[in-house]
Amino acid sequence: MEAALELKGLNKSFGATRAIEDLDLVIPYGATYGLIGPSGAGKTTAIRMIMSILFPDSGTLRVLDRGSALEAKDRIGYLPEERGVYRKMRVDAFLLYMGRLKGGTRAAVEARAKALLTRLGLADALKKKCEDLSKGMLQRVQFVAAIINEPELLILDEPFSGLDPVSVRLLKELIAEEQQRGATIIFSTHVMSHAEELCQQIVMIHKGRKVLDAPMAGLRRQYDARTICFEPLDRTADLMSLKELPGIERVRLTDEGCDIALAPDTDPAAAMRAVVAAIAPARIELARVRLEDVFVRLVSGDGASSESQHALRKALRGSDVEGEIA
Amino acid sequence: MIRRIALIVRREFLATVTSKGFILGVLMMPLLLLMVVLLAPRIMDAHGPEVRGTVAVIDADGRVLPELRVTLHPDEIAARRMEDARRQAAIRREIAERTGRLDQIEPKEPKIKPSPVLTIVERPANTDLDTAKAALIGTNGEPEHLALVVIHDDVTVRRDTEHEYGTYDLYVSKSLSGDTESVLQESLQQALVAARLKRSDLIPSEIEAKTRVQRPNAILVTASGERETQRWLTAALPFIAGLLLFMGVIAGGQTLMTSTVEEKSSRVVEVLLAAAAPLELMWGKLIAQLGVGLLIVGVYVGSGVLSLVQFSMFGLLDPTLIGYLVVFYLLAYLVYGALMLAIGAAVNQIADAQSLLGPVMILLLIPYALTPMIGQAPNAPLSVVASFIPPINLFAMLARVASDAPPPAWQVGVTMLIGVGTALLTVWFAAKVFRIGLLMHGKPPNVRTLIRWVRMA
Repeated sequence: MEAALELKGLNKSFGATRAIEDLDLVIPYGATYGLIGPSGAGKTTAIRMIMSILFPDSGTLRVLDRGSALEAKDRIGYLPEERGVYRKMRVDAFLLYMGRLKGGTRAAVEARAKALLTRLGLADALKKKCEDLSKGMLQRVQFVAAIINEPELLILDEPFSGLDPVSVRLLKELIAEEQQRGATIIFSTHVMSHAEELCQQIVMIHKGRKVLDAPMAGLRRQYDARTICFEPLDRTADLMSLKELPGIERVRLTDEGCDIALAPDTDPAAAMRAVVAAIAPARIELARVRLEDVFVRLVSGDGASSESQHALRKALRGSDVEGEIA
Repeated sequence: MIRRIALIVRREFLATVTSKGFILGVLMMPLLLLMVVLLAPRIMDAHGPEVRGTVAVIDADGRVLPELRVTLHPDEIAARRMEDARRQAAIRREIAERTGRLDQIEPKEPKIKPSPVLTIVERPANTDLDTAKAALIGTNGEPEHLALVVIHDDVTVRRDTEHEYGTYDLYVSKSLSGDTESVLQESLQQALVAARLKRSDLIPSEIEAKTRVQRPNAILVTASGERETQRWLTAALPFIAGLLLFMGVIAGGQTLMTSTVEEKSSRVVEVLLAAAAPLELMWGKLIAQLGVGLLIVGVYVGSGVLSLVQFSMFGLLDPTLIGYLVVFYLLAYLVYGALMLAIGAAVNQIADAQSLLGPVMILLLIPYALTPMIGQAPNAPLSVVASFIPPINLFAMLARVASDAPPPAWQVGVTMLIGVGTALLTVWFAAKVFRIGLLMHGKPPNVRTLIRWVRMA
């Protein structure tokens, strides 16, 4: 399959700061890629270069088989991280303007705007001025503006930040529909759980460099979990005694039971059998791989101090508390 | 590309001209002026209520009162008014004939207002002044007389050769309108002059005929023929043309700057840049506000032309001047508009724009302030030099072509070429700053930073 997006050796600096360093990336048509990394990693700069809003200092890029996004703007949908609307403009006029700028006909844009807003519970907002809408409603309108032209390439920069859980669910449904329609989706976030849920492929960026480009399924296999979540049948059982078992490195008590960390090179199956033999379980499972853990291991290595790992996790979660809530 | 620019132009233009601020601030003023120009003659012509009343007169000289009875008679007042109206109609007719606007000639007799009916009540010379004045207040707020005239005893004879003739005092009640007072003063003046001439055994009509010399308009003789000069118009035109240029550029440029700052601060700009290239966005905005400026200039020029038509003076305006105004406006707008657009893209809020806007405003105010002077001396060395120095050249040359001694055609051509070059240069500069500045947030840039951006882009 031909690539919807191809970046080769992309570099971008702002003064002395290198925002992007030798970025190579190939995204096939129809794929959903998650671009993850802490705030300031270079995700938005990379996206702005893809959109030809910024231009690279060196390197080449092809977007939808064209030399730049400028030649394919009508086929791209973009929801920037810093969202904005014409506050005095009516919602229908704003969506019509954006749709027509992207080459849509008046009738087609109006029909799609109405249908999408109705799906998002905003049918009544069509004739309202943008300034009369709440922040959450505005974000949904902006999402509609991004997909109004049924784009072949949809770029979403932190699409869920600031949204309530109901809106997040509605937007996820619409993104899934765009996937089914065949759109290529690039999804930038620092909220790892969203990327885990929606993306087939994960690209991790740290300090402007790509540190990982792998399929989500492969990540689960490659970065096997080394933590067993255990809940005993007998709530009074001595869980700390499990620490004496071979291959068990650490036991941390939780509300339901405990998390058991395995030593390197320990076979998880053998360890689970040993735990079950020692204390009868109500529930026992291997913890699923978390992108945050993968990122921390990739960037800081296994031997990093817990302080530096903690700092990295904090950066990953970012200051965007709303993102965490979402 | 053209389609997207057209869409941006349409949105920007409509968003500007449909805003309340634009309609009230920019369009209402010329419309109000136009209404005044069109309605004022009709209001003045309209017949007001008939004025009736008495005027008490104390004639210490004794020779004025008989004359006043004549000059204050309603028929005499009507005759004077008719003569005035005919004289004005004759001037308008003459202009219409000379400017070829024969359709503007008024075929019928001019209309005049009805004359006030003022009855004279004679009071003896020894009347107590305070008692006479009390009649102007009257009882129950109703004055007995509209006015009291006290004619001095030396109005028809000078006390000695070094002194002027005496005059009269006029006391009025609050019921006397300004218009009726004016009629009374005029009648008194004529009565006094008639009494003086009679006392000197002179014939008023003979004196008037001997002292009247008609002042003709000078005829300008040029290679293309002779035409009558209208000094008042040629003196005013450079100033008016400069004002229109200034207004159009300020209105368009100011909106360009504020709308760009708003788009930047509301973050809508990145959404737009996802749908249109920075250059498309910039040209869309430039062209839209060019249209806004042209609309404003058009409204003012249209009001001016209608006013000239109303007073049968349209033929005095050279239509090529309107053509020059449009061309110079286009060039001046591109120069100043591009600079203001660049400022809008560079800053994050209007308050930050002031430091960058200052030099641009000075560059705009200096030539505007110079236009009346350049219009007065259009071929002075300084005026000629100013028409080749950008960006003041456009204002200077417009003032010169609007003057009564237009410059040679080659000079106009050179000014236009310099104008086109300057416009291209400023638009190129603005495009660079626009592309970089739109997504820059944080500390507002200074001129040095802007130059660095231009190198970066």
